[in-house]
Amino acid sequence: MSLMDWVVLGLGMVSIAWVNWYFFFASRGPRS
Amino acid sequence: MTVASPELQTERSTLMVTGMTCAACSGRVQRALEREEGVRSAHVNLMTGQAEIVYQPEVVTPDVLVSVVTATGYGASLPEPGSDAIADAEALDQARSNELHELASKLRFAVVAAILSMVLMPFAEVSEGLMADPMMRLFAPLADGLRSLVPFLDSLSPSAWRWILLAVTLPTVLWAGRHFYTRAWTAFRHHSADMNTLIAVGTGAALVFSIAMTVGGDWFGAQGIRPVVYYEAVNTIIALILVGNYLETRAKRQTTGAIRRLIGLRPKTARIRREGSDHEVALEDVQVGDEVIVRPGERLPVDGEVIEGHSSIDEAMLTGEPLPVSKAQGDEVTGGTVNLTGALVFRATRVGRDTVLANIIRMVQEAQGSRAPIQALADRVSAIFVPVVISVAIATYVVWFILAGPPAGVRGLAAAVTVLIIACPCAMGLAVPTAVMVATGRGAERGLLIKGGEPLQRVASLDVIVLDKTGTITEGRPGVEAIQVAEGVDQAEFLGLAASLERRSEHPLGEAIVRVAQERGIALIEPESFEAIPGKGIRGRLGGRLVVLGTIRFLEEEGIETQRFDAAAKELSAQAHTPVAVAVDGSLMGLLGIADPVRGTSREAVRALEGLGLDVVMLTGDNRYTAEAVSREVGIRSVISEVLPDRKLDEVRALQASGKVVAMVGDGINDAPALAAADVGIALGSGTDVAIESADITLITGDLMGVARVVRLCRQTMAVMRQNLFWAFAYNVIGIPVAAGVLYPVFGILLTPTMAATAMAVSSVSVVTNSLRLRRAT
Repeated sequence: MSLMDWVVLGLGMVSIAWVNWYFFFASRGPRS
Repeated sequence: MTVASPELQTERSTLMVTGMTCAACSGRVQRALEREEGVRSAHVNLMTGQAEIVYQPEVVTPDVLVSVVTATGYGASLPEPGSDAIADAEALDQARSNELHELASKLRFAVVAAILSMVLMPFAEVSEGLMADPMMRLFAPLADGLRSLVPFLDSLSPSAWRWILLAVTLPTVLWAGRHFYTRAWTAFRHHSADMNTLIAVGTGAALVFSIAMTVGGDWFGAQGIRPVVYYEAVNTIIALILVGNYLETRAKRQTTGAIRRLIGLRPKTARIRREGSDHEVALEDVQVGDEVIVRPGERLPVDGEVIEGHSSIDEAMLTGEPLPVSKAQGDEVTGGTVNLTGALVFRATRVGRDTVLANIIRMVQEAQGSRAPIQALADRVSAIFVPVVISVAIATYVVWFILAGPPAGVRGLAAAVTVLIIACPCAMGLAVPTAVMVATGRGAERGLLIKGGEPLQRVASLDVIVLDKTGTITEGRPGVEAIQVAEGVDQAEFLGLAASLERRSEHPLGEAIVRVAQERGIALIEPESFEAIPGKGIRGRLGGRLVVLGTIRFLEEEGIETQRFDAAAKELSAQAHTPVAVAVDGSLMGLLGIADPVRGTSREAVRALEGLGLDVVMLTGDNRYTAEAVSREVGIRSVISEVLPDRKLDEVRALQASGKVVAMVGDGINDAPALAAADVGIALGSGTDVAIESADITLITGDLMGVARVVRLCRQTMAVMRQNLFWAFAYNVIGIPVAAGVLYPVFGILLTPTMAATAMAVSSVSVVTNSLRLRRAT
């Protein structure tokens, strides 16, 4: 695997973690 | 949400909400309303597009509630002041028609842009995978034709063509597909995600990538990366999803057809008689007490009681009953039915939102938007589905980037976009609500008012049907079925004496005697004295003669010789008749056999219910002999007799305790506790408020056959729901891995974003179409 592959893999994992954190764990947003 | 003290006054308001496409949308609007201070409760109905809100008027106003909804990205408006259920339904229908119209314009635009972009794509730099797309292959000959017709086109550089394609795509994204992005953004801000999120992220990624390639094409070329654009995919996805949305909205409009047809039953004007002359007035101006005139062939505008004329009335549209019903003075008539033969004058008793028709429309509306418990499954899946799909799409990109050959980034992007598009959970959101809607609408057309998704689901799993006897299996209106008089006694005189005395009593058996005398044209006289002995009989003087009327035992207590009628009395009892003895001046003149006749369809209905695999039980307060006589007549094997009204409830509970799902069928008001205790309460009767409120299901016809029809309809509906959910899940379970490319290494099968959009549209439309099959349900 090239350095670029490792970078994409790392970014991908961070993105997945963020998506799941944002939709499942982050606060349910401001009062509307 | 604030917890208000109970003494704080609350008000109820209904808002019309537009732009909601799936359960996530209605959920979001509902949560926003619930979070607003002063709102006690909010229920947003996806199908009817209405939000029912209970709020504290001193804390929050309806206008604020409208702005709360619009802040979530949807449209909201208040209903016209003074409107009723019918006006609301008309307004909703109009709103949906406008929505459909707007969607059609957007769709036309997007389709033109999609075709144009596919024809023009080959002029821009063609990507390797481009011609693998069957849609692109379809349009390739058009591009070739264009080339030969206008050779000038080839002289433009691929770079220039990319700019032209961008110009074609931007209006589609900014106008036709704009709502996908605005709604996705609103959802995102609330930490939630729905189908709009998937469409927005999918097309957004393709668009951003293409714009980068268009703007920096030369730079990428210098780096050895061939510029590739996906404008045709963006246009086609938006066009195809709009096709799906359009067909879905149109089908949803069809599912409310039942309500539209019910509204259509109401004439716009009424002819009323005021101060001796006839006036044609708007329907809204008819008031309780007005004398309404209807000519043959006209529809009745409101409910009322006939005061003049005689006619037959077609009530089929309201009750499903095909035979016309004859009406004369004193009979009740219902708005929306058709006067067939003669002119009628009736006094309006219920107008506006109180009419039977308005009640039915309101009930059907509420039922159509209600949730079936099976929906919870779809909701649970939808809630976690979208973030999971986004994760899968990211993983797809990463895997393609690392494992695929060049151009790895481009192919990874295509696969990721395909995953996002194929996973749109529209079909899942539509699976249950559309079926509930069509089924309740279909039921209403046949006089079967089902209160919503929950009773609908419970009916489908019933084991036992408990039928109340009086008023359910029987007419509930006792009649004189047999008259036996002593030798030398004139039957007319005998009836005349009995009826004259009974006229003063309020007993239902007495009413039967008075009715039969009146039917036979026998003149009644006024008694000089009258005395009722509760539970036994009555006594009084008529023309100087002492008349005693009541049970055999009562007459014996009065010292009257009854032996010669003993055999006759026993025979009447065995036939389920109640014997009433009549004596004049101490001598027994004869017996009247009074019985509550069995409804014509009861036997057939019992057989139909047993044919559906249900246990049928008869419950009655009558004595064992009467109960057994009736049960023999209609073919019921299990009978529970001599049950006092307050014990009916216990009998229902006892059946439930044995693990059975029990439905109680009764005539509404009397059986209310048992109806409420049963898993499903089915009321026979008219569409009046009380009957509708007290039961899960109301059969307007008062015909037991309706119970069998309801059971069949609910079972068919559950079958449709299960099919819908199965296909919606199966579609995603199969579609997502294929879109990600799991079949590519072995079989070389790979979906394109356009193919994914087509599949998605097809799945939504097939679910709605499957539900629409229920329109023909029996």
